[in-house]
Amino acid sequence: MKKLIENIVSKPTRPGMVGDGFRVFNYFPKGVITQRRMSPFLMLDFNAAYDFGPSDHVRGVDVHPHKGFETVTIAYKGSVAHYDSAGNSGVINPGDVQWMTAGDGILHKEFHEEAFSKKGGLFEMVQLWVNLPQKDKSATPHYQALLAENMGKLVLENNQGIVNVIAGSAQGVHGPASTYTPLNLFDIRLNSGGTFHTSTPSSHNTAVLSINGEIEVNGQKVAEHGFVLFKNEGEEISIHAPEKSIALLLSGEPIHEPIASYGPFVMNTDAEIRQAITDFNMGKFGYLE
Amino acid sequence: MQAFENYLKRHTPLTGEQISVLKQELKEKTYQKGKILLREGESTGLGYFVCSGLLRAYTLDSQGKEHTIQFAPEDWWLGDRNSFYFHEPAAFNIDVLEETQVVIVTKNFMEHATEICPEFGKYHIYLLHNSIRYMQRRINQLLAATAEERYLDFIRLYPKLTLRISQIMIASYLGITPESLSRVRKELARRNSRV
Repeated sequence: MKKLIENIVSKPTRPGMVGDGFRVFNYFPKGVITQRRMSPFLMLDFNAAYDFGPSDHVRGVDVHPHKGFETVTIAYKGSVAHYDSAGNSGVINPGDVQWMTAGDGILHKEFHEEAFSKKGGLFEMVQLWVNLPQKDKSATPHYQALLAENMGKLVLENNQGIVNVIAGSAQGVHGPASTYTPLNLFDIRLNSGGTFHTSTPSSHNTAVLSINGEIEVNGQKVAEHGFVLFKNEGEEISIHAPEKSIALLLSGEPIHEPIASYGPFVMNTDAEIRQAITDFNMGKFGYLE
Repeated sequence: MQAFENYLKRHTPLTGEQISVLKQELKEKTYQKGKILLREGESTGLGYFVCSGLLRAYTLDSQGKEHTIQFAPEDWWLGDRNSFYFHEPAAFNIDVLEETQVVIVTKNFMEHATEICPEFGKYHIYLLHNSIRYMQRRINQLLAATAEERYLDFIRLYPKLTLRISQIMIASYLGITPESLSRVRKELARRNSRV
């Protein structure tokens, strides 16, 4: 059965800055699209294509902690360099995804890659926060550097486009990301006139974000940067692109547990949040300059 | 105003009815980050209860360097005593570090609350003594404590502020250099890190 659409939300009116390097439109949590409504997803920030111009310093967001969930950074244009207190570092180039499991707590920082920052240029990325079930919130922090060439590649017939499967599976093509709960994350790249048919369980909380181009989702027009939230009714989704377009599909089995959050900490109880704050203050997440 | 009412009900003997009467002379306002509520030398007679957000009292030395006297996050009071109680020129500046919703109080509010509820007067005295003992502790720390001791005390008093303000500002409050603060945090991580 065709999945029913609950709401199509336009791009928020104003972006906010995260540090001085990320100019993001926040889609959720906002209004009725709460963390509970989008479970297991906690937050979606979209840095729509923006030319930061050349800079005399490296733009980004300085050291900050995370605990109890995962941050997924998808690069579309420009490059992001990241460093964490476990000693990991790397660069995410267009098409790459960094899937960081903060788990038991980590410090990290994200900047425009140095050469890109100095030269300037179009920067476009998504950051998605994915909740962890209670039993996994103490997981040892780690990250998966998912390179563009390693994504599951679903090539649509008749040159309609390609779907990069980041997590989950589409038409039997699996994504490389290892996840703690069942979820799908597809980077959909359609040529003009292309259509992608897929399905996600009705139990999944499912949404589609238009990254570039106006699209049609289950027959409904969605302006560029529009966000489609589906009801938990029906399974089938078709995304049609009258013009060359990029869309992001996210779906996941909700985690039916209480959510207690404070900034970059997402746990299940207020007591756990207080403990997370103490642990952070006492250096348990390590040190990062 | 609800946060202030809840605070009064939790911490003071004021009844709901008494609070309703007192509310009439209170003003609630929201200020944006960066706003200066009080400048050194001014005398406004105003104090602030923070419902949500974060205020700071600070001074500027002759080189223009900031020295943070106190922070006021949610459920904290902040006022310059010269201005608030004595109607004399303020010794401190007060600014807004995050969008903040406050209830503005005056000395009259405290006196009126005591008139209609004498027990409130006892609470006010408790508040003052509590404030003084923190100030005494702070004086001793600034004179005698190591950087680490100052930081540990800071995170006990203001646990969430490390997530909300810069290291430079924390260092200013602690009376240490940002480099010393980094060293303290690095050493704590060396001892406690589980990453």
